[in-house]
Amino acid sequence: MNPFRGGWFIAFTLFVALVLTVLHLPEWLPQWLGWFRPHWTVVFVFFWVLHLPHRLGLIWAWALGLLVDVLLADPLGLNAMILAGVTYVTWNLYERLRMYSLVQQCVVVFALAGLAELVRAIAHLVLAGREVSPGIVACAVVSAVVWPFANALLQRLQQQFRVE
Amino acid sequence: MLGLVIVSMLLIGLAQATRLLDPVRGWLLTLLTPVTVIAESPWLLGRSLSQTMATREQIDARNGVLERENLELSHLAQQYRVLRAENDRLLALVGSRSRLPAEVLAAEIIGVVPTVNTLQVIIDKGVNAGVTEGNAVIDSEGLFGQVIELGQFTSRVLLVADKDHAVPVEVNRNAVRSVAGGSGRIDRLELEFVPVTTDIKVGDLLVTSGLGGRFPRGYPVGTVQAVSIDPNASFAVVTVLPAAQLDRSRHVLVVVGEPTPTTLEHTLVPAEAIANEARRTGDGPRDETSSNPAPSAAAGRVE
Repeated sequence: MNPFRGGWFIAFTLFVALVLTVLHLPEWLPQWLGWFRPHWTVVFVFFWVLHLPHRLGLIWAWALGLLVDVLLADPLGLNAMILAGVTYVTWNLYERLRMYSLVQQCVVVFALAGLAELVRAIAHLVLAGREVSPGIVACAVVSAVVWPFANALLQRLQQQFRVE
Repeated sequence: MLGLVIVSMLLIGLAQATRLLDPVRGWLLTLLTPVTVIAESPWLLGRSLSQTMATREQIDARNGVLERENLELSHLAQQYRVLRAENDRLLALVGSRSRLPAEVLAAEIIGVVPTVNTLQVIIDKGVNAGVTEGNAVIDSEGLFGQVIELGQFTSRVLLVADKDHAVPVEVNRNAVRSVAGGSGRIDRLELEFVPVTTDIKVGDLLVTSGLGGRFPRGYPVGTVQAVSIDPNASFAVVTVLPAAQLDRSRHVLVVVGEPTPTTLEHTLVPAEAIANEARRTGDGPRDETSSNPAPSAAAGRVE
């Protein structure tokens, strides 16, 4: 009754994360609003690795990162490395992280998203000479704010679709 | 984990140093077509809705505007044909190949790269429509960007205002050459390495010079917005307002023809054609090496 034990649902949420990554506001809004985009792929990957560490592994996260690279026009391999890193850290600590309160988890998401953006910014600085923007902090803060809602929603859907 | 990091580093290095990974990016771009289309669907839907919901009066008014515009443009086109023929004759006379009319392909923008300081868009034409890498993209007002990545059904366009973009230009008034680099801001380009003594004024129109062979010649790039000269600096700071509507255009044209040869390039016109031309104009046969075609003077640009 539950083919692939809900694996299709994990794939679907990651697809949604990709869409959210490139979804944009109308052009007449100021450009800096783009800084307040949560790091969707980090949030979603963090959720699945935290709750189902045996389902979403390093290789899958890395492959997802390759797709993000193409979507965001980053050097191929950059976001792949970042997402694999997020997976690795979460996977090593998931037992402890699950015991954390929601606020503490938010802090962890803030750190992960911030680090992810920092690595990206450094890579951009070194490879393309683009200056580091204050968007890094904004992105990390918004990701942390989004986490409780994403967590609640995904957890509910996970139970509904019996992803295990 | 360490292995993956090493592989990633290798990939980044490989992409940085060579072009081996371009096909991989192309495949992934093709694979991601649904993501792009779905992310853009609210705007695509909104546009088609507003088109169906338009009232009779709105459509009539728009129709009127378009008809007027069409009349004006066909007037220009008539003149253009005459000037073009004259220009070809003159170019043949000085021994240069005439410019090939470039072929264009209408495309629609179906996605933007949402990173704040990256100015790229995705258009709905790819390999299957005959787009190749490096094709220039223009909109109704001027040069828009160039194709940098190819998928099967989509391709990615780097805008002229992106920090990674630069285009060889010349001033339309006096053919001073320069390079217009992107600033990373959508409403601004900067001319690079302009000596303080160069004759560039506010309001000058810049067009593509065709040097470098990537962009066809003669498309408007922008108008000079400010020239600030600091006597202590070696170079003037010239800021340019892009001609293309980088943040508003929805429909663009991809120039898929050959980049047109510049007048510096000699010469595939058969000798007898030149002789015929010379006979007709009542001139004696000319020694081609002494004719010394100055690129700007000989061009006789058609505007």
